Amino acid sequence: MGRYLARRIIYLVVQVFCVATIVFLLLRLVPGDPARAVLGENATGEQVATVRHQLGLDRPLLIQYGRWMGHIVRGDFGASILSGRPVLTDVRQRIGNTIELIVLSTFISLLVGIPLGIIAALRANRTEDYTLSSAAMLGLSLPSFVVGSVLLLIFALKLHWLPPSQFVSWQENPGQHITLLVLPVVTLAASTTAVILRMTRSAMLEVIRQDYIRTARAKGLGERVILLRHALRNAVNPVVSVTGLELASLLGGTVIVETIYGWPGLSSLLLSGVRSRDYPVVQGVVLVIAVLTILINLLVDLAYGVLDPRIRHE
Amino acid sequence: MNDCMESLRDGRLRRRSLLIGAAATTAAAILSACGSNSSSATNTPAAKTTPQASGAIAPTAALAPASTASAASVVSGGPTANASAGTPKKGGTLRYGLSTDPSNFEPHVSTGAASSDVKIMVYSTLITYDTQGQLVGDLAESFGWPDPKTFEVKLRQGVQFHNGDTLTPDDVVFTFQRIKDPKTAASNAPYLADVDTIEAGDNNVVRFRLKQPNATLPYGIADASSLIVSKKWITSGADPKTTMMGTGPFKFVERKPGVSITLTRNPNYFLPNLPYLDGITFQPMADDNARVTALRSGSVDFIDYVPYTQMDIIQKSPDLVFKSDKVLGFGWLAFIVDKKPVDDVRIRQAFAYGMDRQKMVDVAFSGHGAPITGGIIPQGWVGYSPDLEGTYKPNYDKSKQLLQAAGMPTFNTDVLTTSSYSVIQRPALAAQAELKNANINVNLVQQEWLPFNDTVKAGTYAVHIWGSAPAFNDPDFLTRYVGSTGFFAKQIHFKDDQIDQWLLQGRQTLDPALRGEIYHNVEKRVLDLVPWTYLIRREQGEAMQKYVKGYTHLAAGSWTQITLRETWLDK
Repeated sequence: MGRYLARRIIYLVVQVFCVATIVFLLLRLVPGDPARAVLGENATGEQVATVRHQLGLDRPLLIQYGRWMGHIVRGDFGASILSGRPVLTDVRQRIGNTIELIVLSTFISLLVGIPLGIIAALRANRTEDYTLSSAAMLGLSLPSFVVGSVLLLIFALKLHWLPPSQFVSWQENPGQHITLLVLPVVTLAASTTAVILRMTRSAMLEVIRQDYIRTARAKGLGERVILLRHALRNAVNPVVSVTGLELASLLGGTVIVETIYGWPGLSSLLLSGVRSRDYPVVQGVVLVIAVLTILINLLVDLAYGVLDPRIRHE
Repeated sequence: MNDCMESLRDGRLRRRSLLIGAAATTAAAILSACGSNSSSATNTPAAKTTPQASGAIAPTAALAPASTASAASVVSGGPTANASAGTPKKGGTLRYGLSTDPSNFEPHVSTGAASSDVKIMVYSTLITYDTQGQLVGDLAESFGWPDPKTFEVKLRQGVQFHNGDTLTPDDVVFTFQRIKDPKTAASNAPYLADVDTIEAGDNNVVRFRLKQPNATLPYGIADASSLIVSKKWITSGADPKTTMMGTGPFKFVERKPGVSITLTRNPNYFLPNLPYLDGITFQPMADDNARVTALRSGSVDFIDYVPYTQMDIIQKSPDLVFKSDKVLGFGWLAFIVDKKPVDDVRIRQAFAYGMDRQKMVDVAFSGHGAPITGGIIPQGWVGYSPDLEGTYKPNYDKSKQLLQAAGMPTFNTDVLTTSSYSVIQRPALAAQAELKNANINVNLVQQEWLPFNDTVKAGTYAVHIWGSAPAFNDPDFLTRYVGSTGFFAKQIHFKDDQIDQWLLQGRQTLDPALRGEIYHNVEKRVLDLVPWTYLIRREQGEAMQKYVKGYTHLAAGSWTQITLRETWLDK
């Protein structure tokens, strides 16, 4: 196990290095001048050249890369070209908001998706299954900007049950913070729940037809024990896999929800960085997301071993 | 005397008088008639207590921006908005849903209207706009042209920065030297290109000495990116990108990136009784629908940049007020004039005739705009040319004939535009549909904003569609578009010596009638040469709760929101 972990950590370093290099190069290949983003559309050619020089963008690519890598190794992600704030400060302020959003929405998705997936499997090809499967398809096919806008319209504008776009931190007002979390979490959970429901249903369908389930029933075990100890435990690994993937994709993929609800997370920071070609911001945020994604994958792999003792990490 | 100044400001006396005789004589006569002590034309109680101008700077030469007689004479600053219904109440915090999270607070580099809206509340300019779009003093107690190459500003006495320091002429000199410094890459540096030196004189006076006369200097000084900073504060190492400290109506409290920007009332603001609000909290709300929902549900009191899709809903709401204009924002279809095949003026004219712009307004902005069939200078401005209206009325047959004559009965072309801003993209889509009627088949190439800028500059596509707004209310804004050194003219390789000559004359002429003729000539020649064809104007405005009073939407200075300082909450 120790050797396995050490190996994975070495992989992590290599993967992060590769991601950093690719992002650095890709950003420079994408058209759009950060200096013009800094100065606005009125800037003269001379002004753009001055700012490019100040930012070091007129130096050879290799030198820019070397300098940036040197700073990264020392834990310095640099400062935003536009705001002047250190990238790490912005990331620190926002990462908690993103993690809160995706952990809560994933938790709710598991809480709702697994039981409904089990019900759909147990009642396969019956009304309950059709209803749940249709609902899941709807959740999957509706884009989050539609779900978000509709929820906002109904619950904020028409019913006045929940506040619209706003952000109040937990420290400022815990009650209001929770109320404000409801709509973005539900919007995100809509599609994740659908994925988990469908994955649970198909995994359970496969497991409950296995011989050992029939044997368990023949032994006279109760349905509850059969379902939870024998069927679900064997069906859960694909669900864990897909949950890990969903978590990782949400890390940088909550941009629409963050924009609609005014939730200051990593995705909106990344988007504004991309729009204005704010190289340090994009590079820094992508690196952080890459590290988190790799760590989530590692945790998922380790979870396999805990959930299924047959899997050993050698 | 006050009546006289009123007349001067609303333009009645200005036009009548200035048309009679020589400009210098007229300006002197106006001053003589009105006396040197004058106040701005406002009805608010605060205006009456505004310090009166002293130490008048009498213009001795025939040079001043013709659209504003006030800039030629002595004007003391005051509140910019007229008093709204009811007596203003003090107190309350305005919750402002802001369309963009400002990237930074750098006072001399413009990063968009949203950041300007915030900065103008913390800093001040020497000159600003009144509700009629006329220039009036802000930090300037008076201003004027003692000679054609000197612009003098007399500062108000005793104005304090938020840290308690007193504003001095040295701060003003430092500010404009900072703007002129290439290292700052300031947005308004081009406006100051003709300024040779900036001097701090006695008696709180600052002098701008010019290399050559330039009537548009006051507009550059009034721009929201010419904010006056404290020399001591900047040189002490403060980071003006992340914090703010000025002489404005509100003090900067804190910024939570992506969440809020909090301002609190400046009790020592130089205009007595202002501001009325205790503070403003700007909440970035990038999503148009979410911003409008927040307003409609009462979560915010005020929003900027109302999307045209929501304008009707807001206008119909009994609880909301919408304030807008159809003057400044406009779009155009431009040609790289030396690139084949659009180097043939007949093809360019075919485009100009090949669009029903009213239909485009209906399609692109649900009717919230206006077609441009003549010149671009809006009605009410010096140089507006009513006789040019309808020059390019839709005439598909004529378009087809022009194409035929150019040897291209059907014209297929790529047209570049940006997908980043709907105010540019939607007219482009509407133009694409319209041009089909004239046998012009457009393949719309849509790019993100920054690459779009680069591609236009590279001249890759012979035709592109863009949109913008005049930075100030003087017809010389055309220099940026059709002057050979202008930002947009350079992009399309357009250079016309005759237009350059007229533009130079326009900058150096005082007589509004003469200026009107000059800019009429410019407009006509542009319509003849068709380096681009104008498309449509768009409506732009802010929406607010009914209890938000005192705010005036200014169709001046690129929608400056200076009147937020006179805004109050009637609840």
